Amino acid sequence: MKLQFIGRMAATSLGLFAICTAAGVGLAFAASDVPANASGPALKPGKEYLLATNYPNNLHLIDVASDTLYKTCQMPDAFGPGAAQVAPDKKVAYVLNNHYGDIYGIELDTCKTVFHARLAFKPGEQAKSMLSLAVSPDGKELYSVANPTQILNDHYAVQAPRLQVYATDAGLNAQPLRTFEVPRQISIMQAADDGSLYMAGRDIYKLDVKTGQYSVALPTGSWKRPLYSPPDLLYIWSHQTARRDFSLLYTAAKYKDEKQDADTADFVYGYVSVDLTTGKTQVQDFAPVTEVYFTGMRSPKDPNQMFGVLNRLAKYDIKQQKLIKAANLAHSYYCISFDKAGSKLYLTGTFNDVAVYDPDSLELVANIKLPGGDMATGTAQVFTR
Amino acid sequence: MKTTRLRHYLSAGTLAMLACAVLPPAVAEDGKAILNAKCMACHTPEGNDALSRISHQRKTPEGWLMSIARMQLMYGVKISDEDRRSVVKYLADRQGLAPSETDGMRYAMERRLNTVEKFDEPLNQMCARCHSGARVALQRRPLQEWERLVEFHLGRWPSLEYQMMSRDRDWLGLARNEVAPQLAKDYPLESQAWSDWQKSKPGADALPGQWSFSGHMMTRGDVRGVMSVTHDSGDTFNIEVKGQYADGTPFNGSGSAIVYNGYEWRGNLKIGDVRMHQVFAALNGEMKGRMFETEHDERGLDFSAARQDSPRLLAVQPAFIRAGNEAELTLVGSGLSGTPDLGAGVEVVKVLESTPQLLRVKVKAAADAAPGLRNVALGALKGVDLAVYTEVAEVKVVPAYSVARIGENGGTTPKVQGRFEAEAWGKGADGQPYRIGYLPAKWTVEPFNEQARDDEDVKFAGTMQRDGVFLPAGAGPNPQRRMMANNVGNLKVIAQLEEGGLQGEGQLIVTVQRWNSPPLP
Repeated sequence: MKLQFIGRMAATSLGLFAICTAAGVGLAFAASDVPANASGPALKPGKEYLLATNYPNNLHLIDVASDTLYKTCQMPDAFGPGAAQVAPDKKVAYVLNNHYGDIYGIELDTCKTVFHARLAFKPGEQAKSMLSLAVSPDGKELYSVANPTQILNDHYAVQAPRLQVYATDAGLNAQPLRTFEVPRQISIMQAADDGSLYMAGRDIYKLDVKTGQYSVALPTGSWKRPLYSPPDLLYIWSHQTARRDFSLLYTAAKYKDEKQDADTADFVYGYVSVDLTTGKTQVQDFAPVTEVYFTGMRSPKDPNQMFGVLNRLAKYDIKQQKLIKAANLAHSYYCISFDKAGSKLYLTGTFNDVAVYDPDSLELVANIKLPGGDMATGTAQVFTR
Repeated sequence: MKTTRLRHYLSAGTLAMLACAVLPPAVAEDGKAILNAKCMACHTPEGNDALSRISHQRKTPEGWLMSIARMQLMYGVKISDEDRRSVVKYLADRQGLAPSETDGMRYAMERRLNTVEKFDEPLNQMCARCHSGARVALQRRPLQEWERLVEFHLGRWPSLEYQMMSRDRDWLGLARNEVAPQLAKDYPLESQAWSDWQKSKPGADALPGQWSFSGHMMTRGDVRGVMSVTHDSGDTFNIEVKGQYADGTPFNGSGSAIVYNGYEWRGNLKIGDVRMHQVFAALNGEMKGRMFETEHDERGLDFSAARQDSPRLLAVQPAFIRAGNEAELTLVGSGLSGTPDLGAGVEVVKVLESTPQLLRVKVKAAADAAPGLRNVALGALKGVDLAVYTEVAEVKVVPAYSVARIGENGGTTPKVQGRFEAEAWGKGADGQPYRIGYLPAKWTVEPFNEQARDDEDVKFAGTMQRDGVFLPAGAGPNPQRRMMANNVGNLKVIAQLEEGGLQGEGQLIVTVQRWNSPPLP
């Protein structure tokens, strides 16, 4: 039975990466009804917004106070994945898009594209970033890991991945200031307050963005937790939280004894996290595995509460490792976010609606329909201008 | 995580078209000229008429078709269908596989998509996790070409190394350093079998003639008849099929066929109003393979045929009789004559019809005939068994595990049906199980597990017909379902024998459309 579960997990993860989950396909190419080149109203300082992207190439800003759509910007080129990071001054959102190959900076007040970098910058290469995108704490630099491949006349040659560092004021033809070879299989990343870059790969690495030197901050690929299997960790949602918390969910088998029998093992959900203000890392189980969550986030109000979402919205007591409450959903949602106060919880991803829940009661309080199509695997970001 | 997928990849139907057009006699020279004209822009001439990459691989006609189609889809190669046929023919003839090199892997060409593969690690997880292992095992390359295949995969699908069963390992290191060398060892470009085959492969004259055939169409029953093959030009043929189902329904039609590499027979014909495709190995006076509907490759029949000058017993239809009963049996083959020996306790009462292709007999199984298999013999011809049974000990649903797919409902992808038969098994005098054959049954579906029950899969996923055909529901999110799910389902397929009521169970997964369905899955 446990093995079957692993099988289901595998199916889910594959589906996720192919972006072909049953629920996700239908709306992917619905036409947008947003006029092109509309700049919309400027954001209001002090106001809180939720940013979400969707097909065909929309960047939406939702007013958190009223849970209404405030404005929609159009982004250039093709959609996918629409993963966004908001600059520290909250004036620009950087979006990985155009089939994972380009980064665009969209000025939120004006909807203008103020930054553009094509990750492939050498002749004859293609380069894709697997959701790797982060902004330095001073907002001056942008980081992304590109996976380049040299396309030769009759064959391909896969190249080593590169961390590419850009100046955020480099404009519309940005070239990297520095590049460093990094390990393969890097996905999401966040820059800490001290300027170092935490990158999730087979381990969580900490990298010095000036020298490219890196070390293992969290050995997730080879952790030494007695009676635990290596964790399975794929987390492509790079939440920027007010708590400055860089967290990723994992699952692992917890064996009964040294025999490491998978049939008798318990399977646990947990999170690894880096406190971006202190650099302190944490590995913490929070639940037995009973269903799959694509994203999880701790409550800003009570960090002992972990919320997870995919086919249900579930709330756990981390210390007790117990389910507190769960809610059924209208459809699958991939991505969870909180407002700053932790009084509202937002669910995005898959379709084109944002569901707003009360984190205490897990009651649906609002549903915001977005113009355009599928949000797919994009990460919603909540920020205060 | 690039989502670029070959949504419009060549379908099996396109492959069928490969066979349907008549190739001009000068195809070989044309193939070479077209290959040079179309491919040299990227593929470097290497002397000895060789081109980089292309000249260092061997594969099936379907494999070559997929390679050229990929060049069209990914790199914008402009080539007409006719020219593509010529190039596929040219390459498949000169750089194909020996018959023995396709052993155990023909199911992929035959589009038996419910095959559950068993590949050893690391190939199972490194290759067969995303596509069939057979797609790999039906290619031959030297080490550098296997290495380049690795580079192509990761370059083209960068998300590959992030997926489950990749992210837990150094995928690229493993692929480069372990998998590619193993593939070069297991599936090398040069082989004794291939050099032997090139010397001995028969010409087109081995194929014209009268081919007596036998087959079984799932849910429809046994088929038999004669396929007449006449030479057209080069390696192409005209075919005419005259046959019938066991219940007398005609199975007649005509079309054309082409042979690649001396034995890879691909036919394209119309049986009644239905377009069908043939994928056979034609060797030593025998054809074996599968014949299936062009638009619905899940609807097909196992097929075997013997040419008139190749005496062979292909089948006995039906291949079972109940002890104490009288029944009419039909032996199918070529060069048939005389009265068959059906083994202990089974007596031929009367020969009803006798032609070289067909021998229809009335037989009686003694009430005390021992349950079990008998080898059927007709003169020197052997190789077919007849089962005698007194009671059915077990019923197996065939296929035991299968996949149907929702479709249509405004979308372009057809539904993929499930098709089931109830396979009866007896217990021999020795206590060992033996196969009796397909018996009539009543068909129902139930939720496979609690989750399926809660999600009402039986209600939404489709309909099981009386004849064992499962019709999947329409595609797309269903607002009537919990969480707007598609009409997917996890079902238990239950067969209850009409006689005796014994039950058997199988599992049917009803899932979403297959968006990318290349000739080799």
